[in-house]
Amino acid sequence: MLEEILRYLSSPSNREKVLDLLGEHVVLAVVPLLLGLAVAVPLGWAAQRVRWLRAPVLGSASVLYTVPALALFVLMPSVLGTRILDGANVVVALALYTVALLVRPVVDALDAVPGHVVAAATAMGYRPARRFVAVELPMAVPVLAAGVRVASVSNISLVSVGAFIGLGGLGQLFTEGFQVRYLAPIVLGIVATLLLALVMDLLLVGLRWVSTPGLRAGAQA
Amino acid sequence: MQRLIEFRGVTKRFDDGTVAVAQLDLIAAPGQITVLVGPSGCGKTTSLRMVNRMVEPTSGTLLVGGQDVRSRPPAELRRGIGYVIQQAGLFPHRTVLDNVATVPLLTGATRRAARARASELLELVGLPSELARRYPGQLSGGQQQRVGVARALAADPPVLLMDEPFSAVDPVVREGLQDELLRLQGELGKTVLFVTHDIDEAIKLGDRVAVLRAGGVLAQFGPPQQLLAEPADEFVAGFVGRDRGYRSLSFVSTDGLAVHELATVRIGAPAAGPGWWLAVDGQRRPRGWLAPPHPGGGQAVRAGGSLHRLGGPMRTALDAALSSPSGLGVVVDDTGAVVGGVRAEEVLAAWRRHRGNDA
Repeated sequence: MLEEILRYLSSPSNREKVLDLLGEHVVLAVVPLLLGLAVAVPLGWAAQRVRWLRAPVLGSASVLYTVPALALFVLMPSVLGTRILDGANVVVALALYTVALLVRPVVDALDAVPGHVVAAATAMGYRPARRFVAVELPMAVPVLAAGVRVASVSNISLVSVGAFIGLGGLGQLFTEGFQVRYLAPIVLGIVATLLLALVMDLLLVGLRWVSTPGLRAGAQA
Repeated sequence: MQRLIEFRGVTKRFDDGTVAVAQLDLIAAPGQITVLVGPSGCGKTTSLRMVNRMVEPTSGTLLVGGQDVRSRPPAELRRGIGYVIQQAGLFPHRTVLDNVATVPLLTGATRRAARARASELLELVGLPSELARRYPGQLSGGQQQRVGVARALAADPPVLLMDEPFSAVDPVVREGLQDELLRLQGELGKTVLFVTHDIDEAIKLGDRVAVLRAGGVLAQFGPPQQLLAEPADEFVAGFVGRDRGYRSLSFVSTDGLAVHELATVRIGAPAAGPGWWLAVDGQRRPRGWLAPPHPGGGQAVRAGGSLHRLGGPMRTALDAALSSPSGLGVVVDDTGAVVGGVRAEEVLAAWRRHRGNDA
């Protein structure tokens, strides 16, 4: 099998294609991750602060995540008014999944910030918005980071589904392999996707480590 | 007058109808520690939090430095009022130094100036400078509380609110923190409003103590001696406790009390004669008692009783005598070295003279 993959990669045009698809895969996974995070944090903040918002926000997040990816990709053009082959379809759909995955960790993480710390911050003269940015959000990072890691892996795997609408990064190696009944690109696509997920995960773990010096295990109050 | 805290007919009724504080009139005098004490549910924390508008009163007026607290936006008001909370409430994601620098930074100081100020404060509360770079999670409970006090003092607020600041640490550490607070207060002279459920703490720290009963009604307000000697009613009498007669000795001086010479011997050496001998170390600090030898028995060192510091109140003198195996209470100086011994009956005789003077 390895031999066949190496033969597949020996062609410069194949190598170039795989690299292009890898780049596309990274963009299609990471951009929605960032967009989703940017939406989930304020949404989770609102749901955590406003009691009656919590149930509907968390409920619709759960429902949203159960919509099949392919259905969502296909629906996007009619919702967004984009063309079928527009990258925005995949990006927006995956951003929605990211929001669905991250809202609950944001709410949980904010719930877990000890009341005496929030009270002390308020008593020192933080206004709510600044207190959120300076105290609550940094303290929520460990729990939030766990959610972001799940969303990252989920996005990287879901991008492949986009291959069915012609925009799937490494997933296109699968469709291509199936069409010509050639196993090498399929296996290569699987291995590359797994490696990409692993590298992203390690990056996120590292990012969490450097961003939370006081909250690591062993430094816990 | 400028730093006084005044409650004028303050009432707090929560949305569910419970009354936490009822028609509270109270003045926390400038430069003094005023303690709010009472059982849980007596509204003491609610009262404290109305001062910095973390809770808004239903009716009545609260003045700080003669100014209605509602005349200023809450965040701005709070930056001028120190606040120490139970469990310290430190920010676990910031270093000790940056925790202390919080309020100066909020009020617009540069990072460098705020950190310099924070270093001064850490020194003031007796924390070694190498702790500055650590995170709160790496500190003991007592150290965290000191950081909490330093943080509250960082912007040099004239008024300090303390909400059960020492109740989450063990009794020995708590006593150290209380002594430290009294020392700091002697230096800084803040107007302190201090909440506790511990009557001993209230009596030790308070210049004046307000006892609140359930439903937020002020039962009695006065100096601690007065609460112990003349409780206003059954509730206050019950709350200050069974030992209040004994506790009131905390406020009686031992002037004129005879201090007897004690037979001392270096620890490890045998007694040099009959009777009780006090074993001391190289710095003449007491280490225990040697019982009078009896036929056939060895001479083991028996643990000593509590110590009475020279010039301390009658309570510690009597306790030292009562808890000493020899019946002689050990008196020490400020370095902990033995000065002499006191007898319980002579403490009581001194107390009788004190009563005679009072009458």
